[in-house]
Amino acid sequence: MRGEVEIPLNKTQKLRLERALEKLESISSKANLSDASVTVADEISVNYEDGVLQGHGTSEMNGRLVATVCGVVERVNRLVYVRALRSRYKPETGDIIVGRVIEVAPKRWKVEINFSQDAVLMLSSMNLPDGIQRRRTAVDELNMRSIFEENDVVCAEVRGFQHDGSLHLQARSQKYGKLDKGQLLKIPPYLVKKRKQHFHHLNDYGVDLILGCNGFIWIGEHVAAVDDMVVDQIIKSEQPDSKAGDSVNSDEQEQSYTSLDIRQNICRMANAVRVLSSLGFMVTMEAIVEIVKLSNSKKFDIHDMLGAEFYVVVAEEEATRRSSSSKKR
Amino acid sequence: MEFVNPEGLRLDGRRATEMRQFRAEIGVVSRADGSAVFEMGNTKVIAAVYGPREVQNKSQQINDKAVVRCEYSMANFSTGDRMRKPKGDRRSTEISLVIRQTMEACILTNLMPRSQIDIFVQVLQADGGTRSACINAATLALADAGIPMRDLVTSCSAGYLNSTALLDLNYVEDSAGGPDVTVGFLPKLDKVTLLQMDAKLPQDTFKNVMELAIEGCKAVANYIRDILMENTKRLECRRGV
Amino acid sequence: MLQSRSFVKKTKQGGVRKIVREHYLRDDIYCGAPFCKVCDVSGAKLSDAPSPLLVVDTNVVLNQIDLLENPAIDDVVVLSVVLQEVNNKNISIYNRLRSLCSNASRKFFVFSNEHHRDTYVKDMAGETPNDRNDRAIRVATRWYQDHLGGAVHVLLLTNDRENKRKAIEEGISAETVESYVKSLGQPELLDLIVQPPSEDVKMEDVEDLRPSKRKVIYTEHKPMSEITSGLLRGIFHQGKLRVNRYNPFEAYVGSESIGDEIIIYGRTNMNRAFDGDVVAVELLPQDQWQGETSIAITNEEDEEEDVHLPPSSADDAPRATNLVQGSTGAANSPPSRPSGRVVGIIKRNWHSYCGSVEPMPMPAGSGGVVHALFVSKDRRIPKIRIQTRQLDNLLDKRIVVAVDKWDVLSRYPSGHYVRTIGVIGDRDTETEVVLLENDVEFKPFSSQVLACLPPLPWSVSSEDLANPIRQDLRHLQVFSVDPPGCKDIDDALHCTALPSGNFEVGVHIADVTNFVHPGTPLDDEASKRGTSVYLVERRIDMLPKPLTEDICSLRADVERLAFSVIWEMTSEADIISTRFTKSVIKSSAALSYVEAQARMDDSRLVDPVTTDLRNMNALAKIMRQKRIDRGALTLASAEVKFQIDTETHDPLDIGMYQIREANQMVEEFMLAANISVAQKILDHFPQCALLRRHPTPTKEMLEPLIRTASAVGLQLDVSSSKALADSLDRAVGSDPYFNKLIRILATRCMSQAVYFCSGELSAPEYYHYGLAAPLYTHFTSPIRRYADVFVHRLLAASLGINRLPDVFQDKAQLTNISDNLNYRHRNAQMASRASVELHTLIYFRNRPTDTEARIVKIRSNGFIVFVPKYGIEGPVCLSKEGGWLVDEQQQRIKKSDNSIYYGVLQTVQIHMEVVEPQPNRPKLQLTLIEDTYMTKK
Repeated sequence: MRGEVEIPLNKTQKLRLERALEKLESISSKANLSDASVTVADEISVNYEDGVLQGHGTSEMNGRLVATVCGVVERVNRLVYVRALRSRYKPETGDIIVGRVIEVAPKRWKVEINFSQDAVLMLSSMNLPDGIQRRRTAVDELNMRSIFEENDVVCAEVRGFQHDGSLHLQARSQKYGKLDKGQLLKIPPYLVKKRKQHFHHLNDYGVDLILGCNGFIWIGEHVAAVDDMVVDQIIKSEQPDSKAGDSVNSDEQEQSYTSLDIRQNICRMANAVRVLSSLGFMVTMEAIVEIVKLSNSKKFDIHDMLGAEFYVVVAEEEATRRSSSSKKR
Repeated sequence: MEFVNPEGLRLDGRRATEMRQFRAEIGVVSRADGSAVFEMGNTKVIAAVYGPREVQNKSQQINDKAVVRCEYSMANFSTGDRMRKPKGDRRSTEISLVIRQTMEACILTNLMPRSQIDIFVQVLQADGGTRSACINAATLALADAGIPMRDLVTSCSAGYLNSTALLDLNYVEDSAGGPDVTVGFLPKLDKVTLLQMDAKLPQDTFKNVMELAIEGCKAVANYIRDILMENTKRLECRRGV
Repeated sequence: MLQSRSFVKKTKQGGVRKIVREHYLRDDIYCGAPFCKVCDVSGAKLSDAPSPLLVVDTNVVLNQIDLLENPAIDDVVVLSVVLQEVNNKNISIYNRLRSLCSNASRKFFVFSNEHHRDTYVKDMAGETPNDRNDRAIRVATRWYQDHLGGAVHVLLLTNDRENKRKAIEEGISAETVESYVKSLGQPELLDLIVQPPSEDVKMEDVEDLRPSKRKVIYTEHKPMSEITSGLLRGIFHQGKLRVNRYNPFEAYVGSESIGDEIIIYGRTNMNRAFDGDVVAVELLPQDQWQGETSIAITNEEDEEEDVHLPPSSADDAPRATNLVQGSTGAANSPPSRPSGRVVGIIKRNWHSYCGSVEPMPMPAGSGGVVHALFVSKDRRIPKIRIQTRQLDNLLDKRIVVAVDKWDVLSRYPSGHYVRTIGVIGDRDTETEVVLLENDVEFKPFSSQVLACLPPLPWSVSSEDLANPIRQDLRHLQVFSVDPPGCKDIDDALHCTALPSGNFEVGVHIADVTNFVHPGTPLDDEASKRGTSVYLVERRIDMLPKPLTEDICSLRADVERLAFSVIWEMTSEADIISTRFTKSVIKSSAALSYVEAQARMDDSRLVDPVTTDLRNMNALAKIMRQKRIDRGALTLASAEVKFQIDTETHDPLDIGMYQIREANQMVEEFMLAANISVAQKILDHFPQCALLRRHPTPTKEMLEPLIRTASAVGLQLDVSSSKALADSLDRAVGSDPYFNKLIRILATRCMSQAVYFCSGELSAPEYYHYGLAAPLYTHFTSPIRRYADVFVHRLLAASLGINRLPDVFQDKAQLTNISDNLNYRHRNAQMASRASVELHTLIYFRNRPTDTEARIVKIRSNGFIVFVPKYGIEGPVCLSKEGGWLVDEQQQRIKKSDNSIYYGVLQTVQIHMEVVEPQPNRPKLQLTLIEDTYMTKK
């Protein structure tokens, strides 16, 4: 939606875009989506007799439930909350997020995750590079920079709020950790839907895609993961002996050259994400792959993907896709 | 000077209780969490909101609520004479404070502890009523940033010239030196959060002028509400299922 | 309420700045025709009749406003673009046009074409603003034509040929003003038309009639740019030109830049400036600075001074007189007053003037256009050349004339006839002239004003009685003392002896503000009029008659609302306490001064009213004495009283106004009330109290008094008001009138007391010199003075009865109001003086009289006498041929053979007779009766 202002469209493109967007709107209005939309201080109609649990984005004013943010009213049993659209990320325990290290502090890293505060990743909630479960020593503390430095992009999981109100992360799995050889994209968090799977290995492109719940999206060269099961076992057993050599090897591998193909794929995918987010469409793995395919089939260069024409094409494609899917339903 | 002629028209052709044309647009600064442009006639203001985010100066951090900060500035090209507008002069400090206090009163700061919200407003074109336009723009930007608020604060000015209460003064009317009332208003709560007045005004005249300003605020609120609603719906339906 | 009209931005180029203003175009501006089917007709002002609608262009308004004001012209559409242009060019014409538009009886409709969606015109490239406005006028006319269809004929009046041509090309009917007026078939209207400058040819014909005058008489005015730069560089001086009331060839320009007044001698130096114009003056080289003594006599056209009432204060007195004496004292020193000449006129003060046409023979072929000279009643105004088709009609009439222009080529300004007042010499005509000259509003009250009055018959209602702010004082023995036949009684008194031996004294003033509410048309009208004007035979009320003579008048035996000041006083007249309250009173007696005096003097009477009167009188005497001890001046004025024939309203007799003890008694309590109120309102509203001050006269102002006094061997101490009062008391001459004469002379040396707003000045300046009171205001006559109405509101607000009206918040407006009050007050005085002069003239018309007079001043060509019996002053000419020698320094005049001599303040016998040196200009002439017997004695 921000793109509308910035991308210069010619007349026909404008017309096509408008038509596509109108179509989209008509589809969603059929689905009665917009009825639940509220703005600040709008009253939310609820049946008070059933008892209401006030959720996020609501507040009571003169005995009535009103919205405090603009968004969509959601009801889960007795819980009524407003799902804010444009707002910062609201962490929930277990969310998989991508963040950027801001600061290395004693025994912890500060990570920027598009939340109202910086998240904290404790050294103790981090798998050591050697994979051994043990008490963190002073030496470990001194070597923290060897794990993550400032500006490193990391992937982690929300561990929860501590009693002092700070948000803590954990990365006790091999799938979490430092990300490199790829692109980080920031999109509004409401465009990322929480799903079971946030890590995607796209074999066709040799690319890893991580859709962080906080709206940070990582697209990077595929890294062959160490056997997940083994890592889990290691955490459980906390055995001091480790396979240090493996990780060293993989480090060495990572230093290696990334092929042009993969780099192009990364860029293509990143641009797909950009287009989607600027159109305000939901960003899912499927959608991204679809856009990438579309760009390939229509022979769009990578850099043309951010141009006006592709923008319109995507909107039209999405319109037809949604209308067909809604017909199916 | 004659600000309202006997035919009831003001210098720019409005009647006493008419506002200028307003226009608003959301999401004009891509890097900001929320942003908006608000125009009242020839007055044009842009606002950008960052946050809630980590408090930059730790000593200012408040443990149970968010810190709201505001910076007001005027673009060099905003007035007829292109002059370098000094930052942090008395006037902009005062207006910054006014906007900050007004916005703080409606933001549910307790929901965002240990964080800070920055509001930047800049006047792009000044033609009277910049204060009101700034507040309206800031409200829109805050709502766009998804920051929880009690209500939408809206603002409008009104004055009293030629023994007539005038709504939404433009620059010429504003600089006439007559009384000038700027009201910040919470339309749903029906509460006034800001009231500023230059010059003196007798009590019952003041009442009329203020009521007029409140009517203006309500009109602005309706407009802002429409804009926000439209924006929300659009975002939601674009997002798809 | 949100308008969604499209708007066009209008750019103005001013200097380097580009200003952008919004300009909203509307679709709710109506045409104002009551028969229009499309528009909202609720605000329609135009007539229903199928008379043509006139659309006037800017120049027509600017030049022909007098024509437009004539009721023969109606159904005029005034476009907002025209209003705007007129406003920029001439604010006074703008105001006149505005008042025409707001006048309900005239069918002038303002059409806001600039904000109408269909009649707004955008500037075209390369178009001058004038062309653009002309086009806007044509577009609007066109719109009217189309809008009203064939229902009515729309006619554009313009004198601009180009505009007319274009209009006709565009299918709009257009005419010049002249041809339109001709088509109306009312020849007298043609006189109202100002000759457009384009018809220069005609004017030259006129000039050719007198080839000797066909030359440049005046120097060209400097262009504005030169004047501005000259002012900046200090070469020129800006100021308002004030022409000497007694010598129209002499004027003063008060200049701030040199801190002195610049004298301008002669018409050539005045260079076409009128009295009141703001002018730029250039100083003459010092060797051309003239002493003024010679000028007064040598000027070619000098008219002799008229007999008039003596000036009542320094403000009215001829300016030069004291200077003459001042400079003669300094022997032969070169004149030190800077003189100058006018180089440009920054702002004209032209308005219309009353006067008559200079008698001239009817030219051959009468009935055609004749050029005549108009002579203004106001001597400060030069003769004005007018064009008329009705000369035979106008010769014996008083007419009103407006000035249009003054070329360098013509000796006199040219103007045009506006209207006729009446026959010269007729009392009503002359009275109207007096009122017009003094800017007194004497039209009957409008219906809007009268609508503000409570319905008659009015009586005190039970609500008034129940009102907690109003105290019921009906039980008090209240009475009023006024001049006989007084109908607007605004004050009443009571005096009750208290058991403690003290007295409760009350002053009850009519509660006018109970009926005159701020912001109403009634209040606006009263504030505009400022004061009632008392002429000899009529009174021009500030408030409508029902209020002044009935509802507010505190007549005997009726309940009335009042605002009371009540003191508790000791028998030594010391005020113990003061209280103010609104009240209801019932006057038990309305006495005249004579009656009151008679009652007090008649020792047989012991009724309660008389007792109260005596008590009050006793108190008043003590108060008066205290006041005098404080240094209050007992000044005198030569007020005269006419006895008027009830049938013909002609004066039957003139006599000095007699002042009795009863007058003084009432006056004393009024003063006390005013002072108490002044104190109260100043305490409450230090910034916005309306007070009255009397400035302490400067030494220079008192100079002529001291000079005159010393001529008769009298030393006056003017160091303070107390000292002056004492020395005035000591000045007892050979006869009883001597002291009064000195006091009269003293009075005229002082400036007038003025209203002011307390926020404007600092506390020491509040001082009232004449009354020796630190604070003074006017509270006691709200029926006839607006200042008192104002003070009533202040007092009520200070008591918490009312809220203070809005105007009090606005300092600029307060200053305006007090300035207006001063202006009106002064004009009212001038008007009554003029009225007395007029009646004196009528009185003496058939009664040549011999009487006694006192010399008040010796002049180079005679002396000025004051006639105590009739209260008039005038010159007595003594020619050199008669063998008279004047010694101005000694203030003596003597016959060459030393047989007779006269000195200042001496008594002489004079003969008074009305003569008519020029037809229609009667004047009272005084001649000396040489009476050797008198001088010997």
